[in-house]
Amino acid sequence: PGLCPGPFPGLCPAWSPRAVPARGRKTRHDPPAKSKAGRVKMPPPVDPEELLVVLERYRQHRLVLSALRAEFRAEVLQKKQEERLAAEPSVEELEEHRRLMAWNDEENARQRARREERFRKEEEEQKRRKFEIAEKRARKMEAFLEEKEKEVLQLQEEAKNFITPENLEARIEECLDNPRNYNFAIDKDGRIVKRTVLS
Amino acid sequence: MPMKGRFPVRRTLQYLSQGDVVFKSSVKVMTVNYNTAGELSEGARKFVFFNIPQIQYKNPWVQIMLFRNMTPSPFLRFYLDNGEQVLVDVEDKTNKEITEHVKKILGKSKEMLEKEEREKKKLSHPANFGPKKYHLRECMCEIEGQVPCPAFVPLPKEMRGKYKPAMKNEA
Repeated sequence: PGLCPGPFPGLCPAWSPRAVPARGRKTRHDPPAKSKAGRVKMPPPVDPEELLVVLERYRQHRLVLSALRAEFRAEVLQKKQEERLAAEPSVEELEEHRRLMAWNDEENARQRARREERFRKEEEEQKRRKFEIAEKRARKMEAFLEEKEKEVLQLQEEAKNFITPENLEARIEECLDNPRNYNFAIDKDGRIVKRTVLS
Repeated sequence: MPMKGRFPVRRTLQYLSQGDVVFKSSVKVMTVNYNTAGELSEGARKFVFFNIPQIQYKNPWVQIMLFRNMTPSPFLRFYLDNGEQVLVDVEDKTNKEITEHVKKILGKSKEMLEKEEREKKKLSHPANFGPKKYHLRECMCEIEGQVPCPAFVPLPKEMRGKYKPAMKNEA
């Protein structure tokens, strides 16, 4: 029977080194033999002095070992605590960090001021531009209106010379009475002569 | 083999190791909000393009996230391990100014870096011999002026073990 406890074959504390139970032919349920009827099992003989000596030695050994173990445990704990203390930031570092954060906040405030300044300038600029555009538009409007007024006046002026059904006759008479001569002569030098004979 | 990207120098080890921003151990996440267009965001764009690779190279355990065109003005935000958030406004700043600012508020100082360097050096003694992974030299034969390795240059007869007793017997 290859009885092996758990994951480690061969590592069974109660039975090492690899002792196999020596039951032989009979199982535990078979009765013992008749020849063993009056058998009395006696424990192994013990020498009292030797026992005392051995026990004392074992006691001291175990004492020393447990003391050493406790010592090492304490040392490891101490080291771990020191590590933890060293890892967390010290007072000066925290102070430094706070100072730097304060400086950063100031820098942000300065940047904000600059940005607001810029925005203000841009708004002013925009307003000015809008104003200018409005002005230009107004001026154009005015010029246009002036032009139109001038035209109207001119037309009014010309209206005085219009030919209406009333003065039609008079105007015709006038034209017939004053014949206009549109002929002219021009020579090779470019001199114009307007006074010609009307036929 | 062609070079990749617009400024392939950003991928060289020399360029990356020239970055001098090493964050303190409390900085865990860095977030950059910037815009892809606009004059005011120009410094932030250059910072993202040129300096962030250097920072990430020197701080491999810091998470860096970039957000584009989410806010009207660009800024940096750092998240520390005690829950604190540090806001840095970078509108209208050049990328050099931004790196200086960041180095000042959250970077390890030069003394600290040197101290760490010294601590690291203390762990290994340069005079020890051993495997190349942990020490500088493996054997005395590697050093100039010492007896060369017998694997390449055989030792003179007097120094060899098989001739020594013969010599002694003769003498």
